[in-house]
Amino acid sequence: MTGIPGRPKPSTTTTPAAPATARRTAAAGALTAPPERAARRRRAGVLRPMPHLPHWRVRLIASLAVLGPGLVSGFADNDAGGITTYSLAGANFGYQLLWVILASQVVLFFTQEVGARLGLATGKGLISLIRERWGVRWTVFAAFLMLTANLGSIVAEFAGIGSALGIFGVPPQISAAVAAVVVVAFIALGSYSRVQYLFVAVGIMVSVAYVFSAVLAQPDWSLAASSMFHPTFSSSPVYWLAVVGTVGTTITPWGQAFIQSYVADKGLRPDDLPASRVDVFAGSLLTNVIAAFIVIACAATLYANGLKITSAADAAQALEPIAGAAATFVFAIGLLGASFLGLGVVPLSSAYTTCEAFGWETGVNWNWREAPAFYGLLAFFIGFAALFVMIPGLPLISVMFAAQVLNALLLPFVLVFVMLLASDKQLMGPLVSGRYLAPIGWLATALLVVLSLILVVTSVTGI
Amino acid sequence: MQFLSRCIGLPVRDPSGEPLGSIADLIVAIGGKYPPVTGLVVRTDQRRIFIPWRDVASFDTKGARLRVRTIDVGKFRQRDNEILLKANLLDKQIVDIDGRKVVRVNDLSLDDIEGRLRLVAVDVGAAGLLRRLGVEGPFRTIARNIHASMPERYIDWEDVDPLDTTIASVRLRVPHARLAELHPADLASIIEDLAPRDRAGVLASLDDEALADVVEEMEPDTQVDVLEDLSPERAADILEEMSPDDAADLVADLDQETRDEILALMEKDEADEVQELLGYEEDSAGGLMTTEFIALEEHVTAGEAIERLRELEPDAETIYYLYVTSDEGHLVGVLSLRDLIIARPETLIRDVMTDEPVAVVVTASQEEVAEVVAHYNLLAVPVVDEHNVLMGIVTVDDAIDTVIPTAWKKRLPRVFTR
Repeated sequence: MTGIPGRPKPSTTTTPAAPATARRTAAAGALTAPPERAARRRRAGVLRPMPHLPHWRVRLIASLAVLGPGLVSGFADNDAGGITTYSLAGANFGYQLLWVILASQVVLFFTQEVGARLGLATGKGLISLIRERWGVRWTVFAAFLMLTANLGSIVAEFAGIGSALGIFGVPPQISAAVAAVVVVAFIALGSYSRVQYLFVAVGIMVSVAYVFSAVLAQPDWSLAASSMFHPTFSSSPVYWLAVVGTVGTTITPWGQAFIQSYVADKGLRPDDLPASRVDVFAGSLLTNVIAAFIVIACAATLYANGLKITSAADAAQALEPIAGAAATFVFAIGLLGASFLGLGVVPLSSAYTTCEAFGWETGVNWNWREAPAFYGLLAFFIGFAALFVMIPGLPLISVMFAAQVLNALLLPFVLVFVMLLASDKQLMGPLVSGRYLAPIGWLATALLVVLSLILVVTSVTGI
Repeated sequence: MQFLSRCIGLPVRDPSGEPLGSIADLIVAIGGKYPPVTGLVVRTDQRRIFIPWRDVASFDTKGARLRVRTIDVGKFRQRDNEILLKANLLDKQIVDIDGRKVVRVNDLSLDDIEGRLRLVAVDVGAAGLLRRLGVEGPFRTIARNIHASMPERYIDWEDVDPLDTTIASVRLRVPHARLAELHPADLASIIEDLAPRDRAGVLASLDDEALADVVEEMEPDTQVDVLEDLSPERAADILEEMSPDDAADLVADLDQETRDEILALMEKDEADEVQELLGYEEDSAGGLMTTEFIALEEHVTAGEAIERLRELEPDAETIYYLYVTSDEGHLVGVLSLRDLIIARPETLIRDVMTDEPVAVVVTASQEEVAEVVAHYNLLAVPVVDEHNVLMGIVTVDDAIDTVIPTAWKKRLPRVFTR
């Protein structure tokens, strides 16, 4: 308080300025802040522990009220590749692959939990931690794996846009070019985070449409339930390819890095762990409930009638029970939204984490000259994917599926880094993977390795 | 000149040339301009041993040769002022003081200075990365043939501030003296780039006033994070040093429990001011204003006023406009510092002030405030209540924030929809 009193200080106050005395009195009615003010000002999406809400149910609701990292990550899993892969699983194998969905859900929860824990304990991204722990060579290896998998995902998103607009007769060459321009414009203008809500809304709409469609299609619920809990195996390479693709679209290297960076960037701390676990659980549950309904909807419509998916228009038939003649339109819009949602996050976060690990300037507030690596990576991702999808006669549905298989094959390598880091007591402190979580993490990793090996073996022997 | 990456793995021999093991790490003592190497960590068949530098007879690109035959195999304990170059620095983040940003260490450069091998520079360029990958040579050949230059970048150790490392079991006591020289805005963006654990040491090294300046420059999210990381006592001290309007904005972002705890620890005057500002709508003139301003009674003379200013030593931000109030606290005029200085000392300020100054009421919207400030070209606009009692002032930087929204642009690199 700086003030110049022009007369003797009133005896009732110790403040130097006379005006201040008057002010105090005038404002006396408003001395305490209204509590809703703090609530309003808190940025949406920040997840904090809620010590005043003792009951677990209250906590759960409070956690769900904000879109936490786990929910965002889980939701982003159902991108173009996800919708396509689940549709293929349902159309080609009926209810048979539902057990894979359930198993992926469990594995996804544990891998995302480890990722969140790494973010909480260190406040750093995955590739940065690999760099600090194992040096440049391993970082190049890890970054190469991640970027290859992510490039596959980006190609899948472009293929998603291509097939969605293909329903309206737009050739993929044109839709890819337009999509590339739109994505670059969004990134350059920095308005992606705003339109993302639109894409999320579209995604929710389509997810709900699948749930209703599945119910209306009158599926065989008892068969669906028994398939979920009783795995059936087959030695056919096609079957294992579908299993690997389904796992690969659910648990991704990208999602693993994303949850960690998101938690770190939000400034969450070790004592946010319980809330983060709830959030991660909700996210993986949401992903897989939607996935299961997509599979059921496709099984009850396409598989039941012996139809195969070769284009987005075929896959859209699964929505006919709810949307009728508008099914293709609803599906196209949904696929478009899911693709753009993925394109808003994957290229930027890939470029961002890579540059951070190598110590290059990152972020859109630098210009081309200052951050050539960042923009170079972005341009490469978007340019390569757009050009790839432009190849004439490319089977877009197969491209999307292949990208998920690629993700699944690269995932175990990434998980080995993750599990090693999470078991490091010095790095993790009290959040280190303990007696139960460490074996579970390694078991999950081992399962994914075995799955990849089965795929490789059956492919080789099956041909 | 030598690079750390080239030294790691070199053989260590005893005086007769028998190999003992290989170099696992180098130790330097920080504090001086260029830290001298004080020892080697040597990996032998069974264990890692420490060799003090005085026992090293020679050290070159072929390896190290020891002066003594007997070595103490006692366990190495890192002293407070010592850094293990590979374990604590290589691949870690550091602050480049000259470039005012956080960079990653690709390699470390050592050189003989004043008869000692010393750490002289940090390699943060692409050449260092290529060296670590073992392909620097081929790339240099290519670069020479196409007449391109290798992208090399080194930072002199003098311009480096090492951060507390995440992986080391030892907590380094880094002085961070040079960080305090940075402009608060630069330091704020550096701290925002750091992981929470790395922040702690930097925050601890700044004094309250410096830290308050830095906190004022941070994004609201980071402000909250930083304040929650500090002890409540220190947080209260920091808030006291901040200008009341910034402090109030920050306090409003804290959760109720933390807020009550910190406010209770603050000096009563400062806490009261913050509490009062909290009562206003965030985007109203009341929410934007600061209570740090200079008010003069109308019957004071210019000479007396200047004398009072000297006594009070007000903050620079608030000194350019002097507001004049009646005995009841009503705003009756304004004069600039210039008006005050050129007036004869015996003149009453009532006679040199501008009557009926432009003011806004506490409930005015942020847009209205911005409009008034822009229209009249003001550095600050006084805020009054419905009875024309002077409550505070809104400075131009706070007023135009709505008109020029830059905050969202700064937040962009954080892709993840904060």
